[in-house]
Amino acid sequence: MREPVIRGVGLVASLGYAAVIAWLYATQPQIVAQVTGGFASMVGAYKVDPQAFDDGLRFFRGNQFVEARASLVRADPAERDPHVQFYIAYAYYREGWGRLYNDDALFGKGLAAVDKAIALAPGGRLVVDDPDLGMHSADELRAELQRGMTRDASDFNPLRVFGARK
Amino acid sequence: MTAIREAVVLPLIFLTVTLLGGVRLGAGVALAPPSLFTLVLATMLIVALVRSGALAPDRLLHGSRPILANTNGAVVLATLFAAAAQVLGMLTPHSGLPLFFVSVFLFVLLLNTLVAQPDRVRLLRSLAVILGSALVLKFVILASLSGPSGSRTARVLVALFDAATFGTITQEPQSPGGGYLAFLATGLFLIGAAALPGARPGPFAGAVVRLNSRAEVEAAPGVQSPPA
Repeated sequence: MREPVIRGVGLVASLGYAAVIAWLYATQPQIVAQVTGGFASMVGAYKVDPQAFDDGLRFFRGNQFVEARASLVRADPAERDPHVQFYIAYAYYREGWGRLYNDDALFGKGLAAVDKAIALAPGGRLVVDDPDLGMHSADELRAELQRGMTRDASDFNPLRVFGARK
Repeated sequence: MTAIREAVVLPLIFLTVTLLGGVRLGAGVALAPPSLFTLVLATMLIVALVRSGALAPDRLLHGSRPILANTNGAVVLATLFAAAAQVLGMLTPHSGLPLFFVSVFLFVLLLNTLVAQPDRVRLLRSLAVILGSALVLKFVILASLSGPSGSRTARVLVALFDAATFGTITQEPQSPGGGYLAFLATGLFLIGAAALPGARPGPFAGAVVRLNSRAEVEAAPGVQSPPA
């Protein structure tokens, strides 16, 4: 093989490998599915499992939030779909919401999931047209989760018990 | 140096070391970028490689070389720097007194190597000793002090040791795979460093070799053959 060809192929391979390493450092995938899903989404080949997503929505609407999250995680193992991540965050919100107090741990996980959804959405804007939801945009959900985790005087307002879960 | 080694083998080795060197195995897998101090150490290491003749930058980047060859050379240098930083970062403990002492240890050893100006072979040996001892210190000695012990006596001794040192010695428990990854990354880095294009021998080096050749010494006028 001629030397310029070797050098050219080596250069392209090195730059490609370096780009993969930079992407791994930037995204910090935790499991192999996240790595493969990330590469698949780069070339537009990533698909959410529709059956698992439908199962997740069914559980979500039946207030079975743990089951809903299990199905939704199975639907989007690489965590590349903003809609699925939105529903996961919403499941954390609904499970953690309380008339007297909110579960900060669940709200914290919901905040992480909705942040992921916002990061994945084109332009950071995510609106879900689902009549079952009280909040349709990721921004609303994020603000609600943040408010739920904030300690202030309104937490001691007795009228809070009449509040409704969104 | 062949084009395959410069364009394919060396970047592949150093990029793999860059990837492996950043892996931190714990509850999950994390990829840690190099700290500022390891960048300084990596710079010192590359300067030591150049001064010892283990790395000749003019054989990678030179005006007389084609643009593509110079680009390959630049990739080798960039990946060498990244790999050196990640290997040194991987071998440095994460916290407490070990972090301080190993950082000082690596800094002083590299500074000493810079000042001593060893030749290529001695520098590579010295580098193997430096990286190997740091590997043993972190992944064998400190890991055995910090890891969850099996027996109750061992746990009590570790707890006493931890209390006596105000908790500044023990590190976070490491995954067993971390040591193997570190061993692989260090070994690959040393192979890559040994495969770097070194400085060419000077014009008198060949003459010294010829004079030291036994046949020529014996054939030289006025030299008597040693008794058999």
